[in-house]
Amino acid sequence: MDMNDKNVYSRKATLSLKISEFEVPPMQDLLIVGKRAPIGPEAVRRMAEALSPEQFTLIRMDHPKIEAVLLRNTLLQMLDEKLLMNIIMEEAERMISDSMVLRSELKIAVTVQREVDLS
Amino acid sequence: MIVSEIMQTTLQTITSDKSVAHAADRLNEQRGELLIVVDHGEVKGILTPRDIFTSHPNRIVADAMNMRPLCFSSDQMVWDAGGLMEEHGIEQALIMTGDQLAGLITREAIMIKLAEFKDPLTGLFRAPYIQSIAERYLSSKVPFHLLFIDLNNFGQINKQYGHPFGDDVIREFSAILLAMMDEKHDYVSRYAGDEFVLISTAEEEQIVSYIELMEKPIAIRHMQVSAAVGHVNGYLEPRFFSYSFRDLIEKASLLSTLTKKRAIGSVT
Repeated sequence: MDMNDKNVYSRKATLSLKISEFEVPPMQDLLIVGKRAPIGPEAVRRMAEALSPEQFTLIRMDHPKIEAVLLRNTLLQMLDEKLLMNIIMEEAERMISDSMVLRSELKIAVTVQREVDLS
Repeated sequence: MIVSEIMQTTLQTITSDKSVAHAADRLNEQRGELLIVVDHGEVKGILTPRDIFTSHPNRIVADAMNMRPLCFSSDQMVWDAGGLMEEHGIEQALIMTGDQLAGLITREAIMIKLAEFKDPLTGLFRAPYIQSIAERYLSSKVPFHLLFIDLNNFGQINKQYGHPFGDDVIREFSAILLAMMDEKHDYVSRYAGDEFVLISTAEEEQIVSYIELMEKPIAIRHMQVSAAVGHVNGYLEPRFFSYSFRDLIEKASLLSTLTKKRAIGSVT
Protein backbone atom coordinates (compact mmCIF):
# COMPACT_ATOMS: atom_id res chain seq x y z
CA MET A 1 0.00 0.00 0.00
CA ASP A 2 1.32 3.42 -0.94
CA MET A 3 1.04 5.76 2.10
CA ASN A 4 1.21 8.80 -0.17
CA ASP A 5 -1.93 7.78 -1.94
CA LYS A 6 -4.64 9.96 -0.27
CA ASN A 7 -7.40 7.80 -1.63
CA VAL A 8 -6.23 4.76 0.38
CA TYR A 9 -4.66 6.13 3.64
CA SER A 10 -6.90 7.17 6.55
CA ARG A 11 -6.49 7.73 10.33
CA LYS A 12 -9.33 7.02 12.70
CA ALA A 13 -9.79 7.11 16.47
CA THR A 14 -12.21 5.07 18.52
CA LEU A 15 -13.37 6.55 21.83
CA SER A 16 -14.63 4.56 24.74
CA LEU A 17 -16.40 6.43 27.57
CA LYS A 18 -17.17 4.96 30.98
CA ILE A 19 -19.08 7.09 33.48
CA SER A 20 -19.59 6.26 37.09
CA GLU A 21 -20.31 8.20 40.27
CA PHE A 22 -17.31 9.73 42.05
CA GLU A 23 -17.19 8.38 45.57
CA VAL A 24 -16.70 10.98 48.23
CA PRO A 25 -14.36 10.53 49.87
CA PRO A 26 -12.38 8.39 47.43
CA MET A 27 -10.17 6.95 50.18
CA GLN A 28 -12.84 4.96 52.05
CA ASP A 29 -11.77 4.27 55.66
CA LEU A 30 -8.02 4.36 55.67
CA LEU A 31 -4.90 5.05 53.65
CA ILE A 32 -1.48 3.65 54.42
CA VAL A 33 1.32 5.82 53.06
CA GLY A 34 4.72 4.28 52.22
CA LYS A 35 7.90 6.16 53.07
CA ARG A 36 8.85 6.74 49.43
CA ALA A 37 5.33 6.93 48.03
CA PRO A 38 4.54 9.54 45.37
CA ILE A 39 2.03 11.12 47.77
CA GLY A 40 3.27 12.11 51.21
CA PRO A 41 1.33 12.28 54.49
CA GLU A 42 0.77 16.04 54.38
CA ALA A 43 -0.66 15.85 50.86
CA VAL A 44 -2.93 13.01 51.99
CA ARG A 45 -4.03 14.99 55.04
CA ARG A 46 -4.76 18.10 52.95
CA MET A 47 -6.69 16.02 50.41
CA ALA A 48 -8.81 14.42 53.14
CA GLU A 49 -9.37 17.76 54.81
CA ALA A 50 -10.47 19.33 51.53
CA LEU A 51 -12.83 16.47 50.59
CA SER A 52 -14.14 15.49 54.01
CA PRO A 53 -13.32 18.19 56.54
CA GLU A 54 -12.72 17.04 60.15
CA GLN A 55 -13.47 13.41 59.30
CA PHE A 56 -9.97 11.95 59.10
CA THR A 57 -6.93 11.84 61.37
CA LEU A 58 -3.35 11.42 60.20
CA ILE A 59 -1.13 9.25 62.39
CA ARG A 60 2.60 9.48 61.62
CA MET A 61 4.53 6.25 62.12
CA ASP A 62 8.08 5.39 63.05
CA HIS A 63 8.36 2.37 60.77
CA PRO A 64 10.88 1.22 58.15
CA LYS A 65 8.34 1.17 55.29
CA ILE A 66 5.24 3.07 56.46
CA GLU A 67 5.31 6.83 56.95
CA ALA A 68 1.75 7.48 58.07
CA VAL A 69 -1.80 6.16 58.27
CA LEU A 70 -4.89 8.23 57.54
CA LEU A 71 -7.88 6.97 59.50
CA ARG A 72 -11.53 7.82 59.54
CA ASN A 73 -12.32 9.43 62.89
CA THR A 74 -15.36 7.26 63.51
CA LEU A 75 -13.14 4.17 63.63
CA LEU A 76 -11.12 5.76 66.41
CA GLN A 77 -14.32 6.46 68.30
CA MET A 78 -15.29 2.79 68.16
CA LEU A 79 -11.96 1.17 68.95
CA ASP A 80 -8.88 2.08 70.93
CA GLU A 81 -6.26 3.70 68.64
CA LYS A 82 -3.42 1.42 69.76
CA LEU A 83 -5.45 -1.74 69.25
CA LEU A 84 -6.69 -0.58 65.85
CA MET A 85 -3.23 0.46 64.68
CA ASN A 86 -1.69 -2.85 65.76
CA ILE A 87 -4.17 -4.74 63.60
CA ILE A 88 -3.75 -2.41 60.61
CA MET A 89 0.04 -2.52 60.80
CA GLU A 90 0.15 -6.27 61.18
CA GLU A 91 -1.85 -6.73 57.98
CA ALA A 92 -0.35 -3.82 56.00
CA GLU A 93 3.25 -4.78 56.75
CA ARG A 94 2.82 -8.05 54.86
CA MET A 95 1.92 -6.44 51.55
CA ILE A 96 3.13 -2.83 51.45
CA SER A 97 6.35 -1.63 49.87
CA ASP A 98 7.76 1.78 50.80
CA SER A 99 6.67 3.27 47.46
CA MET A 100 3.00 2.28 47.75
CA VAL A 101 -0.15 3.94 49.07
CA LEU A 102 -2.70 1.35 50.19
CA ARG A 103 -6.40 2.07 50.40
CA SER A 104 -8.49 0.00 52.73
CA GLU A 105 -12.05 -0.47 53.80
CA LEU A 106 -12.46 -1.23 57.47
CA LYS A 107 -15.82 -2.04 58.97
CA ILE A 108 -16.36 -2.72 62.62
CA ALA A 109 -19.33 -4.79 63.69
CA VAL A 110 -19.84 -5.16 67.38
CA THR A 111 -21.68 -8.27 68.54
CA VAL A 112 -23.09 -8.16 72.03
CA GLN A 113 -24.54 -11.00 73.98
CA ARG A 114 -25.77 -10.37 77.47
CA GLU A 115 -27.18 -12.52 80.15
CA VAL A 116 -29.55 -11.03 82.66
CA ASP A 117 -30.71 -12.37 85.95
CA LEU A 118 -34.39 -13.15 85.93
CA SER A 119 -34.94 -13.18 89.69
CA MET B 1 30.45 39.72 65.34
CA ILE B 2 26.82 38.73 64.95
CA VAL B 3 25.21 36.51 62.32
CA SER B 4 23.22 39.31 60.70
CA GLU B 5 26.52 40.85 59.56
CA ILE B 6 27.34 37.90 57.32
CA MET B 7 23.94 36.38 56.49
CA GLN B 8 22.49 36.16 52.98
CA THR B 9 19.49 38.40 52.56
CA THR B 10 18.52 37.38 49.02
CA LEU B 11 16.27 34.46 49.80
CA GLN B 12 14.51 32.05 47.50
CA THR B 13 11.15 30.95 48.78
CA ILE B 14 8.52 28.43 47.76
CA THR B 15 5.09 27.52 49.08
CA SER B 16 4.49 24.12 50.66
CA ASP B 17 1.86 23.05 48.11
CA LYS B 18 4.27 23.02 45.15
CA SER B 19 5.68 19.73 43.89
CA VAL B 20 9.18 18.56 44.61
CA ALA B 21 9.77 18.45 40.83
CA HIS B 22 8.83 22.14 40.60
CA ALA B 23 11.12 22.93 43.55
CA ALA B 24 13.99 21.13 41.80
CA ASP B 25 13.46 23.23 38.67
CA ARG B 26 13.35 26.44 40.73
CA LEU B 27 16.54 25.60 42.55
CA ASN B 28 18.23 24.70 39.29
CA GLU B 29 17.12 27.88 37.52
CA GLN B 30 18.12 30.15 40.36
CA ARG B 31 21.28 28.19 41.19
CA GLY B 32 20.34 28.50 44.86
CA GLU B 33 21.55 26.49 47.84
CA LEU B 34 18.08 25.92 49.27
CA LEU B 35 14.50 27.07 49.22
CA ILE B 36 12.73 28.51 52.23
CA VAL B 37 9.18 27.24 52.55
CA VAL B 38 6.83 30.11 53.36
CA ASP B 39 3.04 29.90 53.55
CA HIS B 40 1.06 33.12 54.03
CA GLY B 41 4.16 34.94 55.26
CA GLU B 42 5.00 32.28 57.84
CA VAL B 43 8.18 30.19 57.60
CA LYS B 44 7.26 26.49 57.55
CA GLY B 45 10.62 24.89 56.85
CA ILE B 46 13.51 24.59 54.44
CA LEU B 47 14.02 22.42 51.39
CA THR B 48 17.59 21.44 50.58
CA PRO B 49 18.91 19.71 47.44
CA ARG B 50 19.29 16.62 49.63
CA ASP B 51 15.57 16.74 50.55
CA ILE B 52 14.73 17.04 46.87
CA PHE B 53 17.03 14.19 45.94
CA THR B 54 15.55 11.82 48.53
CA SER B 55 11.86 12.61 47.87
CA HIS B 56 9.54 11.47 45.10
CA PRO B 57 9.16 14.31 42.55
CA ASN B 58 5.37 14.07 42.79
CA ARG B 59 5.32 14.80 46.51
CA ILE B 60 4.42 18.24 47.68
CA VAL B 61 7.10 20.39 49.30
CA ALA B 62 5.33 20.02 52.68
CA ASP B 63 6.15 16.30 52.56
CA ALA B 64 9.79 16.74 51.63
CA MET B 65 10.92 19.78 53.62
CA ASN B 66 12.75 19.93 56.92
CA MET B 67 10.08 21.23 59.27
CA ARG B 68 12.45 22.09 62.08
CA PRO B 69 15.34 24.05 60.60
CA LEU B 70 17.91 25.50 62.95
CA CYS B 71 17.05 29.15 63.60
CA PHE B 72 19.24 31.85 65.10
CA SER B 73 18.26 35.24 66.34
CA SER B 74 19.85 37.93 64.16
CA ASP B 75 22.01 39.07 67.09
CA GLN B 76 23.49 35.60 67.76
CA MET B 77 27.29 35.58 67.89
CA VAL B 78 28.88 34.07 64.79
CA TRP B 79 31.21 31.88 66.89
CA ASP B 80 28.32 30.39 68.87
CA ALA B 81 26.25 29.81 65.72
CA GLY B 82 29.22 28.14 64.03
CA GLY B 83 29.84 25.93 67.07
CA LEU B 84 26.21 24.78 67.19
CA MET B 85 26.08 24.07 63.46
CA GLU B 86 29.30 22.10 63.63
CA GLU B 87 28.16 20.16 66.68
CA HIS B 88 24.91 19.10 65.01
CA GLY B 89 26.33 18.73 61.49
CA ILE B 90 23.89 21.32 60.13
CA GLU B 91 24.75 23.09 56.89
CA GLN B 92 22.18 25.93 56.82
CA ALA B 93 20.26 27.92 59.39
CA LEU B 94 17.63 30.61 59.22
CA ILE B 95 18.15 34.00 60.80
CA MET B 96 15.10 35.49 62.48
CA THR B 97 14.40 38.96 63.82
CA GLY B 98 11.61 38.23 66.24
CA ASP B 99 9.09 36.24 64.18
CA GLN B 100 10.31 37.66 60.89
CA LEU B 101 12.67 35.87 58.54
CA ALA B 102 15.73 38.05 58.12
CA GLY B 103 18.18 35.86 56.24
CA LEU B 104 20.01 32.63 55.79
CA ILE B 105 23.43 31.52 56.91
CA THR B 106 25.52 28.57 55.82
CA ARG B 107 28.09 26.72 57.89
CA GLU B 108 30.59 27.26 55.08
CA ALA B 109 30.13 31.06 55.24
CA ILE B 110 30.59 30.99 59.02
CA MET B 111 33.70 28.83 58.80
CA ILE B 112 35.26 31.11 56.16
CA LYS B 113 34.56 34.13 58.37
CA LEU B 114 35.85 32.45 61.51
CA ALA B 115 39.06 31.41 59.75
CA GLU B 116 39.83 35.12 59.34
CA PHE B 117 39.73 35.46 63.12
CA LYS B 118 41.85 32.42 63.92
CA ASP B 119 45.49 32.51 64.87
CA PRO B 120 47.24 30.04 62.55
CA LEU B 121 49.90 29.10 65.13
CA THR B 122 47.59 28.10 67.98
CA GLY B 123 44.20 27.64 66.35
CA LEU B 124 42.78 30.03 68.97
CA PHE B 125 40.75 33.05 67.97
CA ARG B 126 42.57 36.38 67.86
CA ALA B 127 41.85 39.61 69.75
CA PRO B 128 38.79 40.80 67.72
CA TYR B 129 36.96 37.65 68.84
CA ILE B 130 37.40 38.30 72.55
CA GLN B 131 36.72 42.01 72.03
CA SER B 132 33.44 41.20 70.35
CA ILE B 133 32.38 38.91 73.20
CA ALA B 134 33.38 41.39 75.88
CA GLU B 135 31.57 44.25 74.16
CA ARG B 136 28.46 42.15 73.80
CA TYR B 137 28.47 41.25 77.50
CA LEU B 138 29.15 44.85 78.48
CA SER B 139 26.35 46.21 76.32
CA SER B 140 23.87 43.68 77.67
CA LYS B 141 25.10 44.31 81.24
CA VAL B 142 26.23 40.73 81.84
CA PRO B 143 29.13 40.69 84.35
CA PHE B 144 32.16 38.52 83.63
CA HIS B 145 35.72 37.80 84.68
CA LEU B 146 38.51 38.98 82.41
CA LEU B 147 41.92 37.35 82.76
CA PHE B 148 44.97 38.79 81.03
CA ILE B 149 47.49 35.96 80.83
CA ASP B 150 51.09 36.86 80.07
CA LEU B 151 53.74 34.14 79.82
CA ASN B 152 56.73 34.68 82.11
CA ASN B 153 60.21 35.04 80.61
CA PHE B 154 59.01 34.41 77.09
CA GLY B 155 61.51 36.87 75.59
CA GLN B 156 64.27 35.00 77.33
CA ILE B 157 62.98 31.63 76.03
CA ASN B 158 63.06 33.01 72.50
CA LYS B 159 66.54 34.40 72.94
CA GLN B 160 67.94 31.29 74.58
CA TYR B 161 66.28 28.56 72.50
CA GLY B 162 65.24 30.35 69.30
CA HIS B 163 61.89 31.48 67.94
CA PRO B 164 60.74 28.08 66.62
CA PHE B 165 61.02 26.73 70.16
CA GLY B 166 59.17 29.84 71.41
CA ASP B 167 56.41 29.00 68.94
CA ASP B 168 56.27 25.46 70.32
CA VAL B 169 55.86 26.85 73.84
CA ILE B 170 53.04 29.16 72.70
CA ARG B 171 51.32 26.30 70.88
CA GLU B 172 51.54 23.91 73.82
CA PHE B 173 50.50 26.53 76.36
CA SER B 174 47.46 27.32 74.17
CA ALA B 175 46.54 23.65 74.07
CA ILE B 176 46.76 23.48 77.87
CA LEU B 177 44.59 26.61 78.17
CA LEU B 178 42.03 25.21 75.76
CA ALA B 179 41.87 21.89 77.59
CA MET B 180 41.32 23.75 80.88
CA MET B 181 38.37 25.78 79.58
CA ASP B 182 34.72 24.90 79.79
CA GLU B 183 32.99 25.99 76.59
CA LYS B 184 29.77 26.64 78.51
CA HIS B 185 31.14 29.80 80.06
CA ASP B 186 34.72 30.40 78.92
CA TYR B 187 36.11 32.21 75.87
CA VAL B 188 39.81 32.36 75.25
CA SER B 189 41.93 34.09 72.62
CA ARG B 190 45.55 34.70 71.77
CA TYR B 191 45.60 38.43 72.29
CA ALA B 192 49.12 39.15 71.05
CA GLY B 193 52.58 37.48 71.11
CA ASP B 194 52.73 35.59 74.40
CA GLU B 195 49.56 37.15 75.82
CA PHE B 196 46.18 35.48 76.08
CA VAL B 197 42.83 36.82 77.25
CA LEU B 198 40.13 34.74 78.88
CA ILE B 199 36.58 35.89 79.46
CA SER B 200 34.44 33.76 81.71
CA THR B 201 31.09 33.81 83.43
CA ALA B 202 32.07 30.88 85.66
CA GLU B 203 31.89 30.95 89.47
CA GLU B 204 34.68 32.77 91.27
CA GLU B 205 36.18 29.55 92.72
CA GLN B 206 36.60 28.27 89.19
CA ILE B 207 38.43 31.45 88.18
CA VAL B 208 40.69 31.22 91.22
CA SER B 209 41.59 27.65 90.30
CA TYR B 210 42.31 28.74 86.68
CA ILE B 211 44.66 31.44 87.94
CA GLU B 212 46.43 29.03 90.28
CA LEU B 213 46.92 26.55 87.46
CA MET B 214 48.22 29.20 85.05
CA GLU B 215 50.61 30.73 87.57
CA LYS B 216 52.00 27.36 88.60
CA PRO B 217 54.96 26.32 86.41
CA ILE B 218 53.90 23.76 83.81
CA ALA B 219 56.40 21.47 82.09
CA ILE B 220 56.53 22.21 78.37
CA ARG B 221 59.29 20.16 76.74
CA HIS B 222 62.29 20.65 79.03
CA MET B 223 61.09 24.06 80.29
CA GLN B 224 58.97 25.08 83.24
CA VAL B 225 56.55 27.69 81.89
CA SER B 226 54.29 29.84 84.00
CA ALA B 227 52.15 32.91 83.41
CA ALA B 228 51.33 36.10 85.25
CA VAL B 229 47.61 36.68 85.37
CA GLY B 230 45.77 39.98 85.77
CA HIS B 231 42.18 39.49 86.88
CA VAL B 232 39.33 41.99 86.57
CA ASN B 233 36.28 40.69 88.37
CA GLY B 234 33.16 42.14 86.76
CA TYR B 235 31.01 40.88 89.64
CA LEU B 236 32.87 42.98 92.19
CA GLU B 237 34.29 45.88 90.20
CA PRO B 238 32.32 49.07 90.84
CA ARG B 239 31.26 50.83 87.62
CA PHE B 240 32.26 47.72 85.64
CA PHE B 241 29.78 48.48 82.85
CA SER B 242 31.10 52.00 82.38
CA TYR B 243 34.42 50.54 81.21
CA SER B 244 35.20 49.88 77.58
CA PHE B 245 36.93 46.71 76.45
CA ARG B 246 40.12 48.72 76.03
CA ASP B 247 39.85 49.97 79.66
CA LEU B 248 39.40 46.42 80.94
CA ILE B 249 42.38 45.11 78.98
CA GLU B 250 44.48 48.00 80.24
CA LYS B 251 43.45 47.30 83.81
CA ALA B 252 44.02 43.55 83.58
CA SER B 253 47.34 43.86 81.75
CA LEU B 254 48.65 46.29 84.40
CA LEU B 255 47.55 43.85 87.09
CA SER B 256 49.40 41.06 85.31
CA THR B 257 52.55 43.22 85.17
CA LEU B 258 52.17 43.84 88.91
CA THR B 259 51.87 40.08 89.52
CA LYS B 260 54.98 39.56 87.41
CA LYS B 261 56.93 42.20 89.38
CA ARG B 262 55.70 40.74 92.66
CA ALA B 263 56.87 37.27 91.59
CA ILE B 264 60.29 38.60 90.62
CA GLY B 265 60.45 40.50 93.92
CA SER B 266 59.60 37.41 95.89
CA VAL B 267 62.33 35.44 94.10
CA THR B 268 65.09 38.02 94.67
